[in-house]
Amino acid sequence: MMFKPNTASDSIEKEGVDVDKKIAYIDGQAFNFVPGESILSFINRSLGDDSIPSLCDAPNLKPYGSCRVCSVDVALEENGNARAQASCHTPVLENSYIYPHSDRIKTLRKNIIELVLTDYPEEKINDNKNGTNELQVVAKQVGMEHSMIRYPEGKNHFDFLKDDSHAYMRADLSTCINCYRCVRACDEVQGQHVLSVEGRGFDSKIVMGLGSTFADSDCVSCGACSQACPTGAITDIFDSKAVVADEEIRTVCTYCGVGCNLSVKVKDGAVAAITAPYEAESNEGHTCLKGRYAFKFYDHADRLRSPLIKVDGVFQEASWDEAYDFIAKKLHSIIDTNGPDAVAGISSSRCTNEENYLMQKFIRAVVGTNNIDCCARVCHSPTALGMQRSFGTGAATNSIKDLKKTDCIILIGANPTSGHPVTGAKIKQTVMGGAKLIVVDPRKIELSKYADFHLQLRPGTNVAMLNMLLHYIIKEGVVDESFVADRTEGFDDFKNMILALDMDKLSGITGVDKDLARNAALCYATAKNAMEFHGLGVTEHSQGTFTVQLIADLAMITGNIGREGVGVNPLRGQNNVQGAADMGCQPHQGAGYMMVDNADSHKQYEEFYGRPLSNEIGLKIPEMFDAAQSKDLKALWIMGEDVVQTDPNTTEVIKSMEALDLLVVQELFMTPTAEYADVVLPASSFLEKSGTFTNGERRIQRVNAVVEPLEGTKPDGQIIVDIMNRMGYDQPAYDADTMLQEISQIVPFFAGVTWDGLTDNGKQWPVTGDNEGTEILHTEEFKRGKGLFHFQEWRESNELIKNKEQFPFILTTGRELEHYNCGTMTRRTNNSIILSEDTLLIHPEDGKAKGLVTGDLACLSSAYGKVDLHVELTDQVKPGILYTTFHFPEVLVNLVTGNEHCSESMCPEYKVVAADIRKAKKVEERGIGEVTEAS
Amino acid sequence: MSDNLSNLAGKKGLENNLFQDLLKEAKEHGTPDDEKLKDLAEQYLVGDANAYGATSFYDFLKKENKGKKVYMCSGSACLTARTQDDLKKGLLENFKEEEIGKICCLGRCHENAAINYNGTNYSGIDSSNLSDIIHEDKRELGADTYNVGTNVSDPILTAEFPGIDAYYEIFKEVIKNSPEDALQCINDSGIRGRGGAGFPMGFKLGAAKKETDEQKYIVCNADEGDPGAYSDRYLMEKQPHAVLMGMMISGFIIGSNRGVLYIRAEYPESVAIIKNAIEELEAKDLNGENIEGSGFDFRFKIVEGAGAYICGEETSLLSSIEGQRAVVRVRPPYPAQRGLFNKPTVVNNVETLACVPYIMKNGGAAYKKFGTEKSSGTKLVSLDSFFNKPGIYEIEMGTPFKDVVYEFGGGFKKPVKAVHVGGPLGGIVPTDKINDLTLDFESFASNGFLMGHAGVVSVPDDFPMIEYLEHLFEFTADESCGKCFPCSIGAVRGQEMIAKARTEDYKIDKKLMDDLLETMEIGSLCALGGGLPLGIKNALQYFRDELKAYFTNN
Repeated sequence: MMFKPNTASDSIEKEGVDVDKKIAYIDGQAFNFVPGESILSFINRSLGDDSIPSLCDAPNLKPYGSCRVCSVDVALEENGNARAQASCHTPVLENSYIYPHSDRIKTLRKNIIELVLTDYPEEKINDNKNGTNELQVVAKQVGMEHSMIRYPEGKNHFDFLKDDSHAYMRADLSTCINCYRCVRACDEVQGQHVLSVEGRGFDSKIVMGLGSTFADSDCVSCGACSQACPTGAITDIFDSKAVVADEEIRTVCTYCGVGCNLSVKVKDGAVAAITAPYEAESNEGHTCLKGRYAFKFYDHADRLRSPLIKVDGVFQEASWDEAYDFIAKKLHSIIDTNGPDAVAGISSSRCTNEENYLMQKFIRAVVGTNNIDCCARVCHSPTALGMQRSFGTGAATNSIKDLKKTDCIILIGANPTSGHPVTGAKIKQTVMGGAKLIVVDPRKIELSKYADFHLQLRPGTNVAMLNMLLHYIIKEGVVDESFVADRTEGFDDFKNMILALDMDKLSGITGVDKDLARNAALCYATAKNAMEFHGLGVTEHSQGTFTVQLIADLAMITGNIGREGVGVNPLRGQNNVQGAADMGCQPHQGAGYMMVDNADSHKQYEEFYGRPLSNEIGLKIPEMFDAAQSKDLKALWIMGEDVVQTDPNTTEVIKSMEALDLLVVQELFMTPTAEYADVVLPASSFLEKSGTFTNGERRIQRVNAVVEPLEGTKPDGQIIVDIMNRMGYDQPAYDADTMLQEISQIVPFFAGVTWDGLTDNGKQWPVTGDNEGTEILHTEEFKRGKGLFHFQEWRESNELIKNKEQFPFILTTGRELEHYNCGTMTRRTNNSIILSEDTLLIHPEDGKAKGLVTGDLACLSSAYGKVDLHVELTDQVKPGILYTTFHFPEVLVNLVTGNEHCSESMCPEYKVVAADIRKAKKVEERGIGEVTEAS
Repeated sequence: MSDNLSNLAGKKGLENNLFQDLLKEAKEHGTPDDEKLKDLAEQYLVGDANAYGATSFYDFLKKENKGKKVYMCSGSACLTARTQDDLKKGLLENFKEEEIGKICCLGRCHENAAINYNGTNYSGIDSSNLSDIIHEDKRELGADTYNVGTNVSDPILTAEFPGIDAYYEIFKEVIKNSPEDALQCINDSGIRGRGGAGFPMGFKLGAAKKETDEQKYIVCNADEGDPGAYSDRYLMEKQPHAVLMGMMISGFIIGSNRGVLYIRAEYPESVAIIKNAIEELEAKDLNGENIEGSGFDFRFKIVEGAGAYICGEETSLLSSIEGQRAVVRVRPPYPAQRGLFNKPTVVNNVETLACVPYIMKNGGAAYKKFGTEKSSGTKLVSLDSFFNKPGIYEIEMGTPFKDVVYEFGGGFKKPVKAVHVGGPLGGIVPTDKINDLTLDFESFASNGFLMGHAGVVSVPDDFPMIEYLEHLFEFTADESCGKCFPCSIGAVRGQEMIAKARTEDYKIDKKLMDDLLETMEIGSLCALGGGLPLGIKNALQYFRDELKAYFTNN
């Protein structure tokens, strides 16, 4: 704020007011106002929140002006003729005199509430538990209650039926006051337009879809309406807003890389409900059904509660000491016999920075090998590598809030309304607000409906597609010449090679019309600020890293780097996949991205950890699997990762697991991977531990334990500390604050990070010594100095070259909104009521040719294996293309995905598999989708 | 109501229009069915709920309307004329009860006994012609006649039409010169909006002109919903080119190439005549791209209403064009800054726009010579069937109101105790106050009334004032958009109290009525809830004796 607000008790006019700024008067006393601000905001800011009662206003919604309870008197001269104005949507006029509580205004408010109460069931207002019924609060504030109603009994809506049809959402519209906050939240926050109003006047009624129920509507269960509702007319099964909690603790969501802050209500030591804090910078009062509702996995009966040691093929419960002794003995023996490189670790992007740091430290400093990797390998390793090559650092260049400043979005290989729902919703809002949208995706995703251009390319042709865009940008003369000249290198060669490309040929390869590509290219290049987002549709390809480099080229050639509203912004998959890489969970770089084979950094790490370290680059995950089968790798330690269900070519992964002498798995549940373990260590969930997660915009945020660890479990970090100690390395007990102190001394961009200094909204790295975060990277120069242009030529995937004769379809995979990755957590919540199986999408023409109709069970086969799953005929995919998800272990879709990898980063090519389909032969053999773990 | 929905509608543009698609479905099938709603929701990206929500908002779209075969006017003039009870009896001989809908109002206030049947309006119906209308489909019986007159020698709105070529000479002249000159002319005229609020036209045009958006819109508010008023209908049907030229010149001034006429569905003849007039212009290349080689483009779009009085409120009207529920928006932003599809938009009433050709031809000063200092020009007045000479009169502002009533209107056919001027939100003028008023904004306002759109509905001596007040509350309750609490709940409670007092042993708490009126007047978002109390308060003041039996502690 520009000035120090007065308090109501200041009596001398204009004291504490900056006379050079605009002034208005509240009850005769002068205050400065911000030009354009509403009277409501002005009064609340000047006199304190809640100075003015209101029912339709909400922190994350536009002013609406329906309840009129916030009306105040406004005069143009002191004690002059006043007009009643709704303060929420009336801007402050300079030198106006505002009387927030004049007698007639007080009467007005009381009389309005009297009218409202005539249509509000008396028994339900008193039903209120903790003052969350805002009507009750406001009624009290203005001095009105049911007993004071003077009107004779008339029409009312007390008989509206309740809606309890949905897995989460609930409605009791007899207590609806028609403030439309829910409708506006559905529109302005989520952008789903599931809620509207039926009828008009007094008979106006909130409706879902075509006047049906939540369950029958297109509701995505984001809960924004429930959080917005002032009276509990719309709520959820947890009664999230009204439930009385012992305490409310802020933490960070464990699901995707958006990093939503959550306010967790705890009652009797258990999680009662979750809401989204309005002041959270990463999610601004919004979250999705995973963050808000899918938390009941945490105390699910299936949780592991004791260490397990496999004896003669059967797991037996063991004490922690027994488990640690067993592991330490075995590890020592393997290291002694086969050397430390016979051991490897896979860290977890679901765990905290501190835990990831400890995991790589354990593998490097205690075991003595660089065989450490994490699931970034199978998702965004090409992003990290590609952006490092082009810019010098592999992280998102900008912040999500930059969406408010952008004019054009190009979304490549990402489906954020499912995968990153809050960012997806923000992108949708930005586009509905007028920004252009270019979608590059083989499938018609939700956002492609809103797009100005949808380049529906054939899977596996990203490089060709980006080359088309780059070609037209150069050819049409819309290159940002000065940016290219001042900030980049390698352009001339690049330009010549791009210009030499044959657009007809590339159009044939991608299946995208040349003019469409040209117009999309011009749209991106000529926008004032254009912002790029990409996901796994870019990275999980044999040319994944090259595609990322071309994306970087696209941003540089148009000068869309280094300021607000632009940039290259990978949508990171897991909550902490950014952090896992930052902490050094990769075989070539240690904590802070310093090369392990560089003499200086090797020395620095050795000194810091106080142990001799390997200076040889270790194994990547796929290499670990190969090494296991060749018996070079004897022991694998996996922290929170289900490689059997999620890595490609399940059959081969299982063989690798079986070949190991020792497999240790830290897990919440008995996953398909844990089944193959020799020792399973029961870990605590994110709700039970503290630490930090780093979201996709480099924001390091505090995760706070909200409940005690489930009995029998330990935080992953503590488990690693225990084993480090057991194996002779002195590491203090797991504690987020202490760990951050250690990390900040070795990771350069964490230099200024402290637990307390992170505060509620976290800091975006690099965080300098004075605790300042960084919202935008590469503002003056690139991390590597000049941005480097790379030309890449498109190559057909080996997978198709080898297999397309026999398997003529192309299968590509993705995610659904309701489930997170392999669904270990979400399948154990009511999300599985909403979506209970993986479905194969096929084009109706293909369905006809194969004799398949929606609902049929089809056999999907590839060179690697086959699975049965139900089909849906849809034009979301083009003919010849198949699409499915891999959330359900009942199907194990990765049985059919292949062995191809990104040539640079070894990220598996999940997105292109040569496949075939036919009607399944034995329909009755397997019950698909019969998941019964709903809590 | 929703910026997002406005923008999404804007992306589709004017040619594809959700609202008109819904109306088309309703005309063909009574109401759009669920499958069609889903299709349209998908096509326009608004979601099923919004497609359904919009449908349910309008009288002629909602599913309750399906199966209605004939609509009876429920406007104030037909009510006080007591023609509708007999009419209903006649209709019931031909239709089932559930096949008869109500419609408010058909603008046949000079004849009453009005219905809409098969898309045509009829009035002055009695037992002699009802059968011909229903069974013989004699559409010609729908034609109506009314007096047209003026007290100015050089009429602005009621002059004889000289033919397109002659009439549009001035238009060709204007677009050769600068938009600034044309705006200056408007400003010089001092013309104020004729829709009721009296806002200076030049101010709106100037504000929209300042905006830098490439796309701007001119919208003609032809949703003449005030029962008792049919002057806009007169202009559209008898002077369509005055309206169209007014829009084109407005577009020329602000830099807009698109004009939308939002014409209420209750005026099917107006829609047809305007459509025809636009075709005449197109045939003469006076409309389209690069008109007369001036570089000025202008195209019209007619949007038909679907039965919602609130659409006369300009922000509701804009939402309606966008296919949204026609719910009143907050201001700011004003339409001149962010209106249709969130683009700068000038919304003007039919009569305001129809004055523009005269102002251009004769200059602002010539216009300003008419009327008073603050209310320049003339005003069309609509007189109902209680007058000996019902009709439309163009009256110079400042003319004694008694001249309008007793000279032009020829006095009343039967004893009248009050005239309700300016529609349901206007003031109720007791007959003995007529002599105190002159026809202009200021005189009515300073006497506690409202000139508004200057429709005049008579309340005869034998019509109980309490019944008329209930009608006003009921009208407001029926037509409230449902957004603001004071109007949507208040109107219902007001009507209920009066109904109870009329039928039961119940007296209305006068303090409560006063509180309700104050709550609606100062608390409502728009002029519907905010305007209703004026007439009620007039009645409570001037007809206290007649009404006191219904109130306590009077």
